[in-house]
Amino acid sequence: MVPSDEQTKASDPLALQMRRISKSFGPTRALTEVDFEIHRGEIHALVGENGAGKTTLMKIAAGLIEDFDGEIFVHGQGVHLNSPRDATRAGIAMIQQELSLVPELQVDENIFLGQEKLQSLFLVDRKSQIQAAREVLKTLDFHGALQVPVSKLRVGEQQLVEIAKALIAKARILIMDEATSALSINETERLFQVIRRLASEGVAIVYISHRMEEVFALAHTVTVLRDGRRIGTVPGKEANRRDLIRMMVGREIQEMFSEEKNATSTEKPMLEVRNLSLENPLPTPMRPMLVQDVSFSVRAGEVFGLGGLLGAGRTEILQVLYGLHPGTSEGDIWVEGNPVRLLGPVQAKARGIALVTEDRKRDGLILGAGIDRNLGLPVTRTLSHLGIVLPGRERGLAQSMIRELNIQARDSEQTTGSLSGGNQQKVVVGKCLVTKPRVLLLDEPTRGIDVGAKAEIYRLIGELARRGLAIVLASSELPELIRLSDRILVLREGRPTALLDRSEYSPETILEYASPGGAIQPEFSKLEVTV
Amino acid sequence: MKGLLTVVWRFLLKTKLFWGLAVLYGMGIILSPVNRKGANIFLEPGNQADVLRQVSNNGIIAVGMTLVILTGGIDLSVGSMMSLGCMLCAMLLTLPGWTAGSVTAIPTSAVVTVLLCSYLVPLISTNLQRTPAKPVEQASWTIRLLGAVLGLVAAGLLVWWTTSQLQTKFGVLSVLITVPAVGLAIGGLTGLVISKGKLQPFIVTLAMMVAIVGVARLLGGETAAVYPVYTGSNATEKFDILRALVLQVVPVPGIFFLVAVLAFGFILKYSAFGRYIYAIGGNEQAARLAGIRVDQVKVAVYAISGMLASLAGVLYTAQYRQGKPDAGSGVELDAIAAVVIGGTNLMGGKGTMTGTFVGVLIFGFLTNILLLKNINSNIQFVLKGGIILAAVLLQEGQVGLWWKRLRARTKKLGTSEPRKDEIHSLQNLG
Repeated sequence: MVPSDEQTKASDPLALQMRRISKSFGPTRALTEVDFEIHRGEIHALVGENGAGKTTLMKIAAGLIEDFDGEIFVHGQGVHLNSPRDATRAGIAMIQQELSLVPELQVDENIFLGQEKLQSLFLVDRKSQIQAAREVLKTLDFHGALQVPVSKLRVGEQQLVEIAKALIAKARILIMDEATSALSINETERLFQVIRRLASEGVAIVYISHRMEEVFALAHTVTVLRDGRRIGTVPGKEANRRDLIRMMVGREIQEMFSEEKNATSTEKPMLEVRNLSLENPLPTPMRPMLVQDVSFSVRAGEVFGLGGLLGAGRTEILQVLYGLHPGTSEGDIWVEGNPVRLLGPVQAKARGIALVTEDRKRDGLILGAGIDRNLGLPVTRTLSHLGIVLPGRERGLAQSMIRELNIQARDSEQTTGSLSGGNQQKVVVGKCLVTKPRVLLLDEPTRGIDVGAKAEIYRLIGELARRGLAIVLASSELPELIRLSDRILVLREGRPTALLDRSEYSPETILEYASPGGAIQPEFSKLEVTV
Repeated sequence: MKGLLTVVWRFLLKTKLFWGLAVLYGMGIILSPVNRKGANIFLEPGNQADVLRQVSNNGIIAVGMTLVILTGGIDLSVGSMMSLGCMLCAMLLTLPGWTAGSVTAIPTSAVVTVLLCSYLVPLISTNLQRTPAKPVEQASWTIRLLGAVLGLVAAGLLVWWTTSQLQTKFGVLSVLITVPAVGLAIGGLTGLVISKGKLQPFIVTLAMMVAIVGVARLLGGETAAVYPVYTGSNATEKFDILRALVLQVVPVPGIFFLVAVLAFGFILKYSAFGRYIYAIGGNEQAARLAGIRVDQVKVAVYAISGMLASLAGVLYTAQYRQGKPDAGSGVELDAIAAVVIGGTNLMGGKGTMTGTFVGVLIFGFLTNILLLKNINSNIQFVLKGGIILAAVLLQEGQVGLWWKRLRARTKKLGTSEPRKDEIHSLQNLG
């Protein structure tokens, strides 16, 4: 627990104090004179919209950004944090949103990377490394094999390896950035237990998150940042959702969970999928196929949700529909009654299918190029005459999209890499809309974006459905899935287990059908028998 | 006042490449020796023309290399391709009848003609349609057929025309058509292996580099390592056009270089193809998912690179009056250096043809200045290497960062005790 005793607090120097931290990236000010402090044993949540400066502030503490103004004190001592090495020496470790393990190295090699135990002058003492790693990991509730490459571990386990790495480095200040964004519910709960225990042992923990529920479940203290400034720090007990959101966005926003029925037409299906399946590239006896016997149909104006735990095959279904697995996938697809061959993005685009990918930075955007270039890319040919791109047409398209999607940017030429996550996501959606699709596939459309942008994306999805698009939505956030979908197909390990109507929705039902060993609706259980 | 300064500073930073060239040029003038008449040798029109002539081979190759590097690839085979072009050109010019050279060049260019026509005709016809342009795959079958037929006819004419020259040896025009066609074919093949095999461009073009040199040597046969080209005696006199001076100042190879820079610079900046090149270099996966035919674009850039490299081989033959199988050895590194000095990112997606042009000139003037100062050629290598490193460091903006880091290290930390923590409550936040 947080040292509740006033006396210890007064005598005990702060674990970490950052004073008047300012940082600019070129012309944009990321942080303006931000103060931040955390005690030993405290779990301190850092919240704010995307672009508020949370990650930047903590990267400074972790020595990942070297050029800033302001001062940093660790346990009362002034320190220069100009490299990750400096931070490690000061006992600070950061677990970043994108995990920074070396995928091909084994668990213990990763944990001791840069701090290897040596046998002689340069021989690594694997045996004692493994032993030490096992001891630490045991305290973290990790009991798996250590002599495997970390790429073989689940994301949740990889995260524990990162924590172990920090603990072996004797970190007393642990920073976690969006630690749960890729974790299942069970893994999240386990991680919380680990965090609470570490705090009780005196480790100071900075917890950056978008998810309010997590903040309330964990934090002793909450600091809110907005536009690179500290808006306020409140004790976790006093914090409530409404106030925090107000502090984060600086204005009242309409609660986003308003019910809103999409007008589904009763016409014949816009998208029809029969017996979709996808081979597992690394087949196991338990899981020869990543997706098996999935059939559904989506009407124009309908939002069709795909639910399930991590690894249930949601993303894979969308990928197969977009033609990203030619050769290893099977099944029949009709768009507006016309059969479509699953050959690749070129064909999918020509048939009116568009995909918003799960990872906007990896698959969605050219971060070094402007908004206009990104938006125009899928339709470069229609923007050009005789192979020469007409700049006026490109600018027009970009500007109308920026207006329609309310993208916040200096101008249409601003590079997408410098946009906040929410605006980046809007550009990705815009890239799909310019092709005038009839079927829109959305994979985690609001991952890692702030509340305000989330509400806008939700509104947009509703609007697109009203315009008559057939939308397939894959999401790991149950509230999102429940709010947006007209029907939900629940998947478990690549197979459908239930098709739910709005009247049957509840997080509990969906989880019941999604979890291994849970219930299966009768019409899907038949499939089970035939296999 | 401060605002004005920052505006000026930004402008200087943006145009630093040109300033680099200007400084180098100024150094050239200052350092240059003076001839007997008291004129500055560096500034003599003859010397300036020489620089242009010397850079043009490297420059033409660098143009193709820019396209390849912008897609995030690299082409190490250009030097060998230049050697091959040089050998082919010399053989076609000096040997009559069906030799290894003509057996290679004529059928290859025929095949290239057929393929190009049947690809380009549907592409152009869909682009000609009233806006918006239709996707290529919607081109009608008649158009496709027309393309193929046109290709066959053109190839037939080409074969007839070139074979009719076999007895009297090749002319300038036929060399300028067939040799780059061979380069285009081999480059396209390289691109095909890279894109369809999903292989690293580095290793594929490295293999091609080794293999193509072998082909160039095989063509020459074992006895004849070098083919001298004596225009007027064993080859057509007209071939001298390729080493002439236009208006007594501008060397013809320089014109080829300038045209290549302008043409591909335009394509890069304004065409859809150029957009695709940048997009692939910026994020290949995003480009693929946006429905761009990444593989086709890759094949095209390697084909263009091969074509330009073999064209450089033809110009080399004209310049040095010989065909030899090691004409282009090491050229690939000069071209890559020029592209990188020009500010193009080796990871792809960022860079311009203007940058490459300036990079090539910087390289050329540097060599010229060192030559005029009569500096030991081994020292020249060391200096050039140093300049490449310095240019790239400046381009990447790392130098400024070092300075800032030094400042941060030496900055005095506040000596006051840390403040007492104060926890705000919601009330006084308002």
